[in-house]
Amino acid sequence: MGWAVGIILHSEPELEQPDMIVGWPGIGNIGVLTVDTLRQQIEAEELGEIEPWDYFYPNKVIIRGSVLHDLEFPTSKFYYKRLANRDLLLFIGEEQPSGHGRMYAEGGKAYEMANRVLDVAEKFGCRRIYTSGAAVALTHHSLRSRVWAVATEKRLLAEMKGYANTLLMSEVEGRGDVGNITGLNGLLIGVAKKRGFEGVCLMGEIPDYLSRVPFPYPKASQSVLEMLAAILGVEVDMSALSDMTAQMEGVINNVFRQFPSEVRDRIDQRRREAQPGMITEEDEKWIKEHIDDFFHREDGDKGQ
Amino acid sequence: MNEKVHFLTRPELHTPTMVVGWTMDAGRLGRRVTDYLVRKLGGQAFCEIEPADFFPLNGVAIVNDIVFFPESRFYACPEKDLVVFLSTPPSYEWYQFLSLILDVAQDYCHVREIYTVGSMIAMGAHTARRQFFSTMGSPELKMELSRYDLTRETDFETPPGGRPTLNSFFLWVAKRRGIPSANLWIPIPFYLVSADDPEAYRGVLDFLSDRLNLGFDLADLDEQAGLQNERIMKGLTTYGQHSRKLIVSSVSWSVA
Repeated sequence: MGWAVGIILHSEPELEQPDMIVGWPGIGNIGVLTVDTLRQQIEAEELGEIEPWDYFYPNKVIIRGSVLHDLEFPTSKFYYKRLANRDLLLFIGEEQPSGHGRMYAEGGKAYEMANRVLDVAEKFGCRRIYTSGAAVALTHHSLRSRVWAVATEKRLLAEMKGYANTLLMSEVEGRGDVGNITGLNGLLIGVAKKRGFEGVCLMGEIPDYLSRVPFPYPKASQSVLEMLAAILGVEVDMSALSDMTAQMEGVINNVFRQFPSEVRDRIDQRRREAQPGMITEEDEKWIKEHIDDFFHREDGDKGQ
Repeated sequence: MNEKVHFLTRPELHTPTMVVGWTMDAGRLGRRVTDYLVRKLGGQAFCEIEPADFFPLNGVAIVNDIVFFPESRFYACPEKDLVVFLSTPPSYEWYQFLSLILDVAQDYCHVREIYTVGSMIAMGAHTARRQFFSTMGSPELKMELSRYDLTRETDFETPPGGRPTLNSFFLWVAKRRGIPSANLWIPIPFYLVSADDPEAYRGVLDFLSDRLNLGFDLADLDEQAGLQNERIMKGLTTYGQHSRKLIVSSVSWSVA
């Protein structure tokens, strides 16, 4: 059914002050992978979409028997789900509307797209918007990705800090108190603030040396999704993301092995210098596997 | 109409056909076909699309000391009830650009059908018969045009990472507006990409002449094609199979 210029809604469900969670592709596809995994896990229903032709070039023509059958564009779809304790709207954009051949959205088109997304949020009485994306960090791919949070107001920052594995952008070592979030995952939060929504952007850490590699980084998506699941109070099965992480680990290690040894050593140093108190996934696994050995050895020592 | 469209005159037209060509395509097909139509039919420019939103106007291109500036112009040939549109392919905002063309075509001209002209780079030789590989906007138009041998029952999907052409996008937008339209695709031998291919534009003009009762005899194009073939053959004899670069520049120089 038609609703507003450029937006098609298939239905208009009654939702009670839903939160909206938004993801577009970007570095490591962290945001879009997070939101798409959540969508699958909670079995959200398709609600509608933004008409693509003003924002995107087509990505596929289909011709059958010399007759134009269809032209396909990147999709920008809304989904919804009524959970036990809250209602949710999701938005997943297959591409950012990049003007003039740039990788990330900027300028008029990006602003327009952000407003179309928020038009739907407003229509359904949304108060809070979450976006997610990548935090390019001086970390190591064997370390667990932390989640950096920024928000439209201080009250929200305090709330976000209460979740495990989360830190504010200003708390990141050596960053200082200024930063920038490129593309629509950032712009949307700015426009949300302008329009009076609460907004939070959750960014999963990706090592700087992988930020230009054209494959996903599911480890960061998993961290962001764990945090979102805690915020929303939903159980999310992480096995699909874990499997993907394990697969990517092999690919990343292959890439890593091709780095010059001095570069590898320097990067490996990050792992050794990981903050005291931070237990990495690898540490955790190792500890679980060897904890009994420690006790046995202690017993043995006593016996000597 | 829209402020991005600038009318120079308001010619009288009665449900005309429109032919669309793009500059800078292989074999200079779009320009040659539209130039020929305008010249032979005494066409007059009547409308332009303003370039500001569609082209990177950060300077001007110079080729062989000649200034090139984007052009997007409609020509009217009222005697044959034909509209010709020739444009530099837009760099940005394809949908908006194509919508403007179709606004003029539909709202002002009330066109009955549209043909876009497009060249495909082919491995075939210049001596091979130029067969159309056209795409129709609807099965009805395909049926109506079946006697012209325009199609090859093509099935195609853009491969991953590719992008549909401007002509495919145009056909889709025209189809959504219910305007009967076809893309006239014709192969250009790869070694004539940056040269002229009179054999190819003769094929397109032959179809248009027949379909639209334009009465062209096309003997001039036969002569051009013959001359070009002679030069290519001479080049091959003189320089051998591996001197295609010389041959192409020779052909380009002689026919342009």
